[in-house]
Amino acid sequence: MLAFWSLALLLNSVATGKEVCYDRLGCFTDNVPYSGTTERPISKLPWTPEKINTRFLLYTKKNPNNFQEITAVNPETIGYSNFDTNKTTRFITHGFVDDGEENWLSDMCRRMFTVEDVNCICIDWSSGSRCPYTQAANNIRVVGAEVAYFINVLVEDYGYSLSKVHFIGHSLGAHVAAELGRRVPGIKRITGLDPAQPYFEGTPNEIKLDRTDAEFVDVIHTDSAPTIPYMGFGIRQAVGHLDFYPNGGEYMPGCKRNALSQIVDIDGIWEGTRDFVACNHLRSYKYYSDSILYPDGFLGYPCAAYNLFETGCFPCPTSGCPKMGHYADQYKDQITSSSGFMKLYLNTADAKDFARWRYKLSVTLSGKSSVRGYINIALYGTGGNTKQHQIFQGKLQPGSTHTVFTDLEINPGTVTKVKFLWNNNIINPTLPKLGAAKITVQDGEDGNVYNFCGSDTVREDVLQTLTPC
Amino acid sequence: MESVWVLLLLTCIFAESFASPRGLIFNLENGELCLQSAQCKSNCCHRKSGLSLARCADKAAENQECSRKHLYGVYYRCPCENGLTCKADWTIVGSITNSDFGICQDPAEKK
Repeated sequence: MLAFWSLALLLNSVATGKEVCYDRLGCFTDNVPYSGTTERPISKLPWTPEKINTRFLLYTKKNPNNFQEITAVNPETIGYSNFDTNKTTRFITHGFVDDGEENWLSDMCRRMFTVEDVNCICIDWSSGSRCPYTQAANNIRVVGAEVAYFINVLVEDYGYSLSKVHFIGHSLGAHVAAELGRRVPGIKRITGLDPAQPYFEGTPNEIKLDRTDAEFVDVIHTDSAPTIPYMGFGIRQAVGHLDFYPNGGEYMPGCKRNALSQIVDIDGIWEGTRDFVACNHLRSYKYYSDSILYPDGFLGYPCAAYNLFETGCFPCPTSGCPKMGHYADQYKDQITSSSGFMKLYLNTADAKDFARWRYKLSVTLSGKSSVRGYINIALYGTGGNTKQHQIFQGKLQPGSTHTVFTDLEINPGTVTKVKFLWNNNIINPTLPKLGAAKITVQDGEDGNVYNFCGSDTVREDVLQTLTPC
Repeated sequence: MESVWVLLLLTCIFAESFASPRGLIFNLENGELCLQSAQCKSNCCHRKSGLSLARCADKAAENQECSRKHLYGVYYRCPCENGLTCKADWTIVGSITNSDFGICQDPAEKK
């Protein structure tokens, strides 16, 4: 293996040192660190802008379903279009093998239009993404230069402000931001949706997305297991101001279905096939898309690691939890230049809608006899009632207290009552009775604690209602 | 070329179906395809309409729509969670067409 790499490096040290120059965009070399390093053994120069064919597809509230193609090479196309210079512009960029006309990009635009009026520009560089990975990983430099050129035209010809630019990139598309951030410093925000790992993990900041590329950089990691041998496509290291690791950042719920169920998806065979190939990796934009509709459904809890989050790091600090996804920039003012990388953890659902609300539940049991079984709890509040969540399984000992963190599928609001149920799956002829003497519920978002008391006990599979005390 | 891809896909499906310790026939997670409620961990095999495929889904919580338990094994509305009863009228047509829908209620709750 070592011999292979040293040979590869040797070959590359010969091969590197070339340069290509293109009109408008300038020159691109394959010198270190772009090639000839252990992270990037194969050297490739980016293709020509004509071959990559970066297209800007504009969606606005006036044309949410059909895009208008605009280009900075002919700036009058921007003038003729529905582009509004008074509004924020959000660029959405796809990744490797993907396509800018793929549904998820325009769907994300339409979701945005339900909450805000923006210029939503989907960037298509499919001609440059459908090629060997090593080539595509270099083609993004030209895409980054094209986006930078586009933004510069907006600034020069239309007096557009960089504080209105938000760039969203998925996978390889997230690293477009590296070239963009270097050419146009001072962009308001860049969002990396599971930035690609191979050829970028551990490389210098000029190649990959990092926190210097914009004033605010937020990243969602959903597939950060090592590429070898786990086939994780997303970057592991924290690279932004805020780095969210939903479900731990490596394996997403709902991605371990059997092959048939995964491919024959509710959203169709094509969506299912995409998930079959890269389910974890694609979850990042699905979470982002859902976060537009659920501002408080994706709170990221600051924590040192995921296993600590599972048993603590609760509730949110007094300054609040940053929101994963669309509303992450609401936390921007609380980031100081001295603060290090901020890792945030949360759990999501296994299918859309992915939003979840984290609560801490603790139950104190009452009764006479102890049995083996499980406990369920359902919360009832101003926002509706939840399904029953299993709190504990094992020996149910009267007097004992069980505490867990649960991610609820709805936001119950102010909790008004709680229901308790216990069950064991074996028939017990002594007909034991158990109850909950006290249930404490703590809300993760603002730390509110609600106490509920019960005096009676119930038979198996009978709901006991507890009221505030 | 096309057939190579199809062949590869089928190989993957078969390879996984035999290698997988998780549910392919029983113990299915929510969202996986099913034919019978007994296959699902949640004990509800749910489909939206007569033409759509059935997948495992959570049982209905209190105040949600439900069906009574029946022998078809596939539901348009899932039965209620433990401790709840599905308040639904029993009709002959409904029981044949699998459409005796109701609302999950706690029998202890006084109305």
